[in-house]
Amino acid sequence: MPAASLFTATAETLLNRLIALDEDSAQRLVPLAGKRLSVFIEQLPVGITLVFSTRIDVLAEPHSFEDVCVHQDGESCFIKTSLDVLPSLTQTSQITRLIRADKLQLQGELSIAQQTAALFQQLDIDWEEQLARYTGDVPAHEAFASAQKFRQQFAAFGRRLQAGLGNALTEEKDIAVSKLAVMHFNDEVDALRDDVQRFEARLSLLEKNQ
Amino acid sequence: MSDTQSRDDASQNMDESVTEQTHFGFKQVDKSQKASLVANVFDSVAAKYDVMNDLMSFGVHRLWKRYTIDCAGVRAGHRVLDIAGGTGDLTAKFSRLVGPTGSVTLADINLSMLKVGRDKLRDQGLVSNIDYVQADAEALPFPDNSFDVVTMAFGLRNVTEKQNALNSIYRVLKPGGRLLVLEFSKPASEHLSKIYDMYSFHILPRMGQMVASDAESYRYLAESIRMHPDQETLKGMFEQAGFEQCDYSNLTGGIVALHRGYKF
Ligand SMILES: C[S@@+](CC[C@H](N)C(=O)[O-])C[C@H]1O[C@@H](n2cnc3c(N)ncnc32)[C@H](O)[C@@H]1O
Repeated sequence: MPAASLFTATAETLLNRLIALDEDSAQRLVPLAGKRLSVFIEQLPVGITLVFSTRIDVLAEPHSFEDVCVHQDGESCFIKTSLDVLPSLTQTSQITRLIRADKLQLQGELSIAQQTAALFQQLDIDWEEQLARYTGDVPAHEAFASAQKFRQQFAAFGRRLQAGLGNALTEEKDIAVSKLAVMHFNDEVDALRDDVQRFEARLSLLEKNQ
Repeated sequence: MSDTQSRDDASQNMDESVTEQTHFGFKQVDKSQKASLVANVFDSVAAKYDVMNDLMSFGVHRLWKRYTIDCAGVRAGHRVLDIAGGTGDLTAKFSRLVGPTGSVTLADINLSMLKVGRDKLRDQGLVSNIDYVQADAEALPFPDNSFDVVTMAFGLRNVTEKQNALNSIYRVLKPGGRLLVLEFSKPASEHLSKIYDMYSFHILPRMGQMVASDAESYRYLAESIRMHPDQETLKGMFEQAGFEQCDYSNLTGGIVALHRGYKF
């Protein structure tokens, strides 16, 4: 027991701290008030239910997905999936495919899952300001400029990778990748690694200067 | 509650009904005295109760309560009774889970504890769906079949006639409702038992003295835990009251147990 309770307690504290950092969250919580989202992930021993009010309460489900799904009260949504599928859930276009492939089970009010995703996706937290509370303005700004650049490059890399993979799958190309492509991929990984190292060095410098 | 019902409850009590004595910690006292002695303890600890709970259990009481809430199956619209609810830890969460269409009754025999609870919950902005009722668990002042869920956390061991309390809770539960009792119990291993004894008889009263200037109340706490029925005995008392599908889970090696029973 205490393991699951410790997990939900930590998750609850983190989620509520996170949403408190964006003043507009309170407004986005309003349509969710009184609703529940239960998520069962194959790799986790228990399901987790988020209960929305003016905050989020996190409960561990002592019952199975099938038992919990009995409560179809129009105020609840139930999801069962696995860890690797989670990232694709943000793309609505993928959902039907995942359900057909038996990688995702969805029951109840879908809009609750969508509103929850929106609540977190639309979080607009001024991390620079949050960090500045601890480090002062200038170091915070420096750290964030580096982080921003790193993030942009990482995102661009991710997009290219996704596009490449997407094409390979949809057009059912030969899966064997050409030598040229492999070299190109390696180059990008190298560039990314350099960026990470630069970012890390920058951070250590900032830490030392404090 | 009808008068006949309350007399029935009283006559069914199994707790040392032959003698007029009962235990208060390790002491033997007159049955009629126990309630007021317990009241003194909680009058004395009310103000420092929450801090002491965190200190004494290293914060683990929050996890025990969380597990109780997970098992309570409380949903929007439910009517919940948190008896011996004290400073309202369980009530706070239930209030959000039942939402505006449900309600939570925080009941306790002790006014000082209820007041601390009410102030704390109001500070958290929880007002609209909570009632505060001063009540004795042995004779609950609610109509039959009133609640979907009843919880009692760390309260039962303080009650003079525990069987009366279970009977009374059974009466106010709706058919299909469930009772959860979270209470100190008997550690499963001898080894843990020894460490736990040392902690509760030697360290706990000193902590009570340091933080709340009240060693006596915390000595009572340790003693009352030892006098409380063990897991199987309490399960039997649930069944005696009429509960079905009774079971319990040991938490933290049996230092605490969560008992569950349904009224069908
Ligand atoms: C250790 S506190 C528990 C408070 C709270 N449930 C918690 O877990 O933090 C025990 C409570 O039981 C209450 N109590 C003792 N005897 C009682 C009785 N016969 N009926 C109702 N409440 C009682 C006390 O006043 C006290 O507030």
